[in-house]
Amino acid sequence: MAVDESGQAFHHPIYSFLEKMPGLSLGLTTADQLLTWGSSNSLFIFPMATSCCGIEFMAASSGRFDLDQIGSIPRGTPRQSDVMVIAGTITVKMAPRVKKLWDQMPEPKWAIAMGSCAISGDFYRDIYSVVPGVDTFMPIDVYVPGCPPNPDQLFAGLRRLQEKIRAKRNGEWTDPELRPDTPGLRSPNLPRVGDPRREASLDEAQLDAVMNLDPGGGMLRSGDKS
Amino acid sequence: MSTPDDLASLLREGFDLEPADPITVDRSRVVELARSLKGIGFEYFSYCAAAHYPATDADPDRTVVEYRLRRLPKDEVAFRVWVPTGETTPSLCGVFAGADWQEREQYDLVGTVFADHPDLRRIMLPEDWEGHPLRRDYAIDTRHHPWR
Repeated sequence: MAVDESGQAFHHPIYSFLEKMPGLSLGLTTADQLLTWGSSNSLFIFPMATSCCGIEFMAASSGRFDLDQIGSIPRGTPRQSDVMVIAGTITVKMAPRVKKLWDQMPEPKWAIAMGSCAISGDFYRDIYSVVPGVDTFMPIDVYVPGCPPNPDQLFAGLRRLQEKIRAKRNGEWTDPELRPDTPGLRSPNLPRVGDPRREASLDEAQLDAVMNLDPGGGMLRSGDKS
Repeated sequence: MSTPDDLASLLREGFDLEPADPITVDRSRVVELARSLKGIGFEYFSYCAAAHYPATDADPDRTVVEYRLRRLPKDEVAFRVWVPTGETTPSLCGVFAGADWQEREQYDLVGTVFADHPDLRRIMLPEDWEGHPLRRDYAIDTRHHPWR
């Protein structure tokens, strides 16, 4: 049956009707394979491109790399799309808009977080206005790490998504996709703000340094360089 | 950058100011100064920027607003206004329509209040944001539900 384990993603009333018809299981299996083949090879993309990853996405979709070769076409509207590619930093103000567009996409739908900003916020993570990873407010199927990932890596992510769609339809996929763990890539020397291991004296020292900037930002002077 | 003669004479005779970069002008005369500068050709409103300075022994807690005008192709003039926190500065929207959104941005991020501004709302941050994040006394780990 063309339903994944949760029974939600591909449910349609016609399936439950057809299941009751005798002798149709063979045809259903064939039709199911056809549907899987079709949906995994015609991933229409809604590019949620907010920053530099969007440039790489444009490069991937234009002639040199050619997204069309795997059946993916960027569409300008969420209502005709299957995949949302979130390419770029998502701010607190943008996040409700992204969620709204995501909700407008018809099922079945998938999401790719492209680039480290969309995955975790990366070095904008602690800024007041940046969402620390889009998976805090919407489901993500495939993570494409990189800053920005080049078109080849985006293609690898799309192929990964195709594999995932096929595996899910065959009932082989059970684990959720995990946010990639990159030890050593960004491990700050000092624990970040909000980390329970961070000492209170660090916050005080940082606030003290900020509050005692001279007028004109006098922490760095030309005379200090010599 | 050399100061053009007509600019220097306007500043000295009309406003009793010395040419500088930037000129510091009193809040009560800033609209008049902008209108006079526009009159001698400084018609290009380059930018409006603001910064927050915490209280020191000499000065109260205040923000500074700097405007920069250009007379194409190469002359430019900058003037700044000091605004103590809790007080307002006149808006330049009546002189330069382009100041509208830029002053909204400064209000949004730094918290400078522009009197007589036609539409002083937040422009970059969400409408329900609390505080002005580019102020020096804004805690950098302020939580914003539900993402932080």
